Amino acid sequence: MGERGRGCCPPMDLMRSEPMQLVQLIIPIESAHLAVSYLGDLGLTQFKDLNAEKSPFQRTYAIQIKRCGEMARKLRFFRDQMSKAGLPPAVRSATQAEISLDDLEVKLGDLEAELVEINANGDKLQRSYNELAEYKLVLQKGGEFFHSALSIAAAHQREYASNQGSEVESLETPLLSQQETAIDSSKQVKLGFITGLVPREKSMAFERILFRATRGNVFLRQAVVDELVVDPVSGEKVEKNVFVVFFSGERAKSKVLKICEAFGANRYAFSEDLGKQSQMINEVSGRLSELKTTVDTGLVHRGNLLQTIGEQFEQWNFLVRKEKAIYHTLNMLSIDVTKKCLVAEGWSPTFATKQIQDALHRATHDSNSQVEAIFQVLHTREMPPTYFQTNKVTTAYQEIVDAYGMRSSVWVGKGLREGGEDLVETASILAGVAKYQEANPGVFTIVTFPFLFAVMFGDWGHGICLLLATLYMIIREKKFYSQKLGDIMEMAFGGRYVILMMALFSIYTGLIYNEFFSVPFELFARSAYVCRDPNCRDSTTVGLIKARDTYPFGVDPAWHGSRSELPFLNSLKMKMSILLGVAQMNLGIIMSLFNALFFKNSINVWFQFIPQMIFLNSLFGYLSLLIIIKWCTGSQADLYHVMIYMFLGPTDDIGENQLFPGQKMTQLQFHPSLLQIVLVLLALVSVPWMLLPKPFLLKMQHERHHGESYAALPDGEESLQSEANHDSHGHGEFEFSEIFVHQLIHTIEFVLGAVSNTASYLRLWALSLAHSELSTVFYEKVLLLAWGYNNILILIVGIIVFVFATVGVLLVMETLSAFLHALRLHWVEFQNKFYEGDGYKFSPFSFALLDSEDE
Amino acid sequence: MGFLVTTLIFVVIGIIASLSARICCNRGPSANLLHLTLIITATVCCWLMWAIVYLAQMNPLIVPILNESE
Repeated sequence: MGERGRGCCPPMDLMRSEPMQLVQLIIPIESAHLAVSYLGDLGLTQFKDLNAEKSPFQRTYAIQIKRCGEMARKLRFFRDQMSKAGLPPAVRSATQAEISLDDLEVKLGDLEAELVEINANGDKLQRSYNELAEYKLVLQKGGEFFHSALSIAAAHQREYASNQGSEVESLETPLLSQQETAIDSSKQVKLGFITGLVPREKSMAFERILFRATRGNVFLRQAVVDELVVDPVSGEKVEKNVFVVFFSGERAKSKVLKICEAFGANRYAFSEDLGKQSQMINEVSGRLSELKTTVDTGLVHRGNLLQTIGEQFEQWNFLVRKEKAIYHTLNMLSIDVTKKCLVAEGWSPTFATKQIQDALHRATHDSNSQVEAIFQVLHTREMPPTYFQTNKVTTAYQEIVDAYGMRSSVWVGKGLREGGEDLVETASILAGVAKYQEANPGVFTIVTFPFLFAVMFGDWGHGICLLLATLYMIIREKKFYSQKLGDIMEMAFGGRYVILMMALFSIYTGLIYNEFFSVPFELFARSAYVCRDPNCRDSTTVGLIKARDTYPFGVDPAWHGSRSELPFLNSLKMKMSILLGVAQMNLGIIMSLFNALFFKNSINVWFQFIPQMIFLNSLFGYLSLLIIIKWCTGSQADLYHVMIYMFLGPTDDIGENQLFPGQKMTQLQFHPSLLQIVLVLLALVSVPWMLLPKPFLLKMQHERHHGESYAALPDGEESLQSEANHDSHGHGEFEFSEIFVHQLIHTIEFVLGAVSNTASYLRLWALSLAHSELSTVFYEKVLLLAWGYNNILILIVGIIVFVFATVGVLLVMETLSAFLHALRLHWVEFQNKFYEGDGYKFSPFSFALLDSEDE
Repeated sequence: MGFLVTTLIFVVIGIIASLSARICCNRGPSANLLHLTLIITATVCCWLMWAIVYLAQMNPLIVPILNESE
């Protein structure tokens, strides 16, 4: 299993996933923690859960995990407190001393208790401070009521006295003087009053309810407090009114109290005596300032505490997460019957054998264990995980390929939209990454993906813009790594090397299309076309004439803006799409040959690769050949006609559509070894060739294998190989009908796919046409139009509109759409020729990955 | 410059690129093979694109007809 390049071809980076092995580690229990920790630092082992049947609570290290969870909760609490206080946690520095988990637990507990106490005290103080502040307001406003009422009453009395001069009313109830004058003084009862604050939005309702509940036997005065008041209960700032309510009798009092409570109106004691009032105000002010200093000191203390926490927060957080991960992993190991060692099983790349053994050795040494850990390789029939070693350039491309597994969800929507074309493709919905060691489409994707993108995005002006943007990201790579980016920015940054290639290729294709913001340049030679006569009279009717050599690089600038530009470019780009498509599909089928050779699967070579090649090339390869011949000879032949009548009437005369002698040889009296008939027949033969032999051969192979298995136990390596040979149905029962249906679907998919996929490549033409038309519109209808006015202001507006349209529509939206279409061409048209994609990804236990994933 | 000459230029550029990749970043045989594959693929893609456009203009069936306004 170990050696690379098993079947064919020298080994190539990225082409095959790393060879993996299932390893068993037997670690003495005293060094297990350290060993797992070192393996986590190494990050090249994917542990298997050997206790899958146990619930999380039954496992060996459940208590430790609970402790870590508790500590993580405390850390989250600190983080919340810090973010409330506006203190960001400091960046983790490596210089700080290592701290053990137990010490950390104690420390975190102490810190949490301290912080909780500080918070509780602070809240209490803040509340009494707010209450006092409200009290002061009540005293001030209430005092104003009584003061003004008193002065009014005094004025009244003077007036009254001057009018009647007899009856002297007491000043006891000055506020009620206006109403009470009519009441008999003998019935007068002692009036009570309550003062307090009520939220302003409730004040109207408060007044109404008071009035109704006491049947009008109440007098309420309110005063608006201008500034916002902090409510002691909720701690929020609200608008409030100070009120004074007068009532008579105990029953009324209890009603008023209840209503006050219901409305959240805070009541405060109040004295009628003016002297006492001023004394109270002084007293309250004094206590307020006292409390203020206390509260401030509390806040400063809390800030200091949080600051010290913040300095070490990241370190602690990392430690706790690391420990939790270690215990989580230890829980996956099975404990030996003697309870003296732990047994681990897991996948690791074969190249990591030495490193893992080193890590185990160091762990044994560092933990002073008497017994070495044991490392051994197990043989298994299980499918190993897929692991590609990528660098920062290839990662993004590999992600494009790996995202293929996710297309199933994309597909449901897409299939509905595109109708029948994708019907067959939905049958092959897959999940996961590349199968273990199968040929990785990522290798060619690195070039073909940006290339197909550029075919749709050909404009070297736009390409240069894209290049500058991505170069900026690449040059400031280190800075971008360290900071948090937005979603879209993060995506662009992650794919910066993809965008770099896309930009370079679009500059190239832009030069080929001869478009610089849709403007052509005579960069490589003079145009091949000239006027027919010196006066150029015919140039608008008959057209120019080709007088020089063909324009050496790209599209002749003479085409731009001419009336025949679109017919020419359409024909060119359509044919180009088909040629590129046929080339890429052939590459896909050749990849399936690499796979068949690698897995030593001769059935797939003879009964899949060869008929597929014949089928595709006898139809679309022939079409490509005709296109090229037509270009080379300048023939007027109608290719549609040729292709259609190749099927409808292979023996008919094609007359003027003949492109080369021998294409149809009916007029010659030869036996009918006519090229087109042969091609059609080959295509027809290759369909049953694909369909029939493979299931029967597989059945025979299975039966032979079955007989062998009684003879000798197969070696581990061979058994894995034979499993791979059987595709996904090697193990267990051999269901012939299932295999046959599978092959039938596969054949139908390929035959229909050959047509629909070729048609699908026409999107290259459509998108590139849309791009060049859009940029022409922006250039001519915005920039040139604004230029024509000869007015600076209009020109500036025109340039601004042009820049925004170019950036927004062409550089952002067109990039996205061309990206998506290139993606589709790779996922569907290219990868369905060879890619199984039913593997699962290698997800090692690694502390480096802990950082990136958020809780 | 004819078709063959430019094709030769592409071939030469491809060879130069492969050689410089081999010399500049020699990271073992498997990585070198990857680089070589990528360079060959890129060269073939670029050549294909150029060749298609060149061939299409070699024997034009239609010629540019200028707009009336120009």
